[in-house]
Amino acid sequence: MHDTVWFEIQGIPSVSIASSVFGQAAETQRKALGMEGARYVLVPHPIQDATDDEMRAKAREAFDQIIGALRDA
Amino acid sequence: MSDQKPEFILKDLQGAAHHFDGTGPALVCFVKEDCETCNIAGPVLQTLSQAYGDAVRFLVPGQSGEKNADFAQRHGLTMPVLEDAGCKTSFSWDFEIVPALYWIDESGAVVTHFEGFVRDDWQALSDQMASATGKAAAQVDWDSLPAWRPGCGSKHFDPEVYDALRAEAEGSRLRARKVEVASGDDMAEFMFDQGFSDGLPLVPPTPERVIRMLEGTHRDPQDVIATVPPNMGPATVEKIAINAVMAGCKPEYLPVVIAAVEAVCTDEFNIHGVTATTMGAATVMVVNGPIVDKIGLNGGLGALGAGNRANATIGRALRLIIRNVGGATTGGVERSVLGNPMKYTMCFAENEERSPWEPLHVERGFKAEDSVVTVFAMTGGPVHLVDQTSRRPDQIAGSLGQGLEGVFLPKMHNLPIDALLVVCPEHINTLTVDGPYSKDRLRDRIQQVTARPLSEMVQDDHSGAGIPVADAERMGPEKLAQLAPKFAGKEYIHIVVAGGDAGKFSSAFHGWATGEVGSISVSRKIDLG
Repeated sequence: MHDTVWFEIQGIPSVSIASSVFGQAAETQRKALGMEGARYVLVPHPIQDATDDEMRAKAREAFDQIIGALRDA
Repeated sequence: MSDQKPEFILKDLQGAAHHFDGTGPALVCFVKEDCETCNIAGPVLQTLSQAYGDAVRFLVPGQSGEKNADFAQRHGLTMPVLEDAGCKTSFSWDFEIVPALYWIDESGAVVTHFEGFVRDDWQALSDQMASATGKAAAQVDWDSLPAWRPGCGSKHFDPEVYDALRAEAEGSRLRARKVEVASGDDMAEFMFDQGFSDGLPLVPPTPERVIRMLEGTHRDPQDVIATVPPNMGPATVEKIAINAVMAGCKPEYLPVVIAAVEAVCTDEFNIHGVTATTMGAATVMVVNGPIVDKIGLNGGLGALGAGNRANATIGRALRLIIRNVGGATTGGVERSVLGNPMKYTMCFAENEERSPWEPLHVERGFKAEDSVVTVFAMTGGPVHLVDQTSRRPDQIAGSLGQGLEGVFLPKMHNLPIDALLVVCPEHINTLTVDGPYSKDRLRDRIQQVTARPLSEMVQDDHSGAGIPVADAERMGPEKLAQLAPKFAGKEYIHIVVAGGDAGKFSSAFHGWATGEVGSISVSRKIDLG
């Protein structure tokens, strides 16, 4: 979220991507950084042990959300 | 003797306010009811007031609360005896001894000031007042009075009173927002409710305590030591002191806490990652140098816990700063899957006296006479390494190496991960029984005894950790026969000496990710001014 906030401050639309268990952390962090509208998209947890194919599937599922979030800028 | 004294408004024993605007003619004498010398001065004041009271305003601020009335009654005082509540006026007038007498002229200049009781001074004052007012000299039986009495320390210098006054005075060094606690609230519970706590009770950071804590450093309270992630809160010396109070530190510990904050808030150490990681890393602090003995840090018996105030509270203060200034709270940005007891505190001294090697800070480029704090990001430990029977140096060195197999998983080798090995004195005795045994030789020995063929690290039915099967197939038998030590380089093995003289048990802390993607240990010199 730090990076997303930094990009937004530079005027560059940004979205953070994290696995689903980190929603609370993203909420806490964007609030603490004073940008409650900073955007993030969550993909299904976990990712550490995911195969490349599983990761591609997660990316495909999240792609529209990511583009949508950026377009909401 | 011309500087003007500050104005005040104080109430007399009947509750009427008296405003001293800084100008006279006035005689102001601060007294304390239980001060023997003030009780010598009391009747003299009354006689002077009878003689000159028409022309000179007499004001007697008392420092004794309800007992001011006893003082007035005892000496039949007819001038206003004022209540200097909390000794604030005494503090602002800045004297040391009571009775403290000031004779102030029309312009506000202090004509005469003395503290204690020197009969000649008081007599001279009376003469001066007689001549200035044109009144007959006061009828004091001077010969009945002692020639000299030293007076008592002003009540505003009582430690409790003085620190509170300094904290609240105009120009106070404190800037932090004051949190009011209702009188009916239980302070300990209130502090839990505010979310300041790591789960254990806290010492309330009253202004008096924070002021006292700040005496531990020469740094300005508003100096910003670091910006603390994850919320990038500015850690001023004052904020650090507040958390040090809450943690239970003594003022002399404060420079160590400040150095630790500096160390963890570097890009190399990456306290943001250390705090946030699901792996559950915590800061392990090792302190070296003369400050260890000076403030009573423990590097001997029970060094890794518990029971030593300096070890326990310095480590805890650092954690509270990360929490309360940086905003790292469990369930917020702090995401450790299991947590870690070292997240409460982990700080110890190196037992330099029992070490055959140069101390950790000297190894890292500091002078022996420097005091230095070194921080490591560790996920596990202290893990006991038990060997009570080895008699030869290479045997004990080998055991210490085998003891480190558990970092991450015994199966995992070639790890670019730190470990902090804490060698106990009895193991040092065995290591050095035949003569010097260098740290580097110990590191080499650890790498030697932990070396295993890569084939043992391939993912299999026992464990899916390690080298993927497809990769192993590509590598081929020759490559898989190559040996891999536990650590990717011996520089990942950090070694210190600690512990008491009895017990053949060393210990190890297991690292988190090391390097640019993780954390690199950092040493900082402790600024003792």
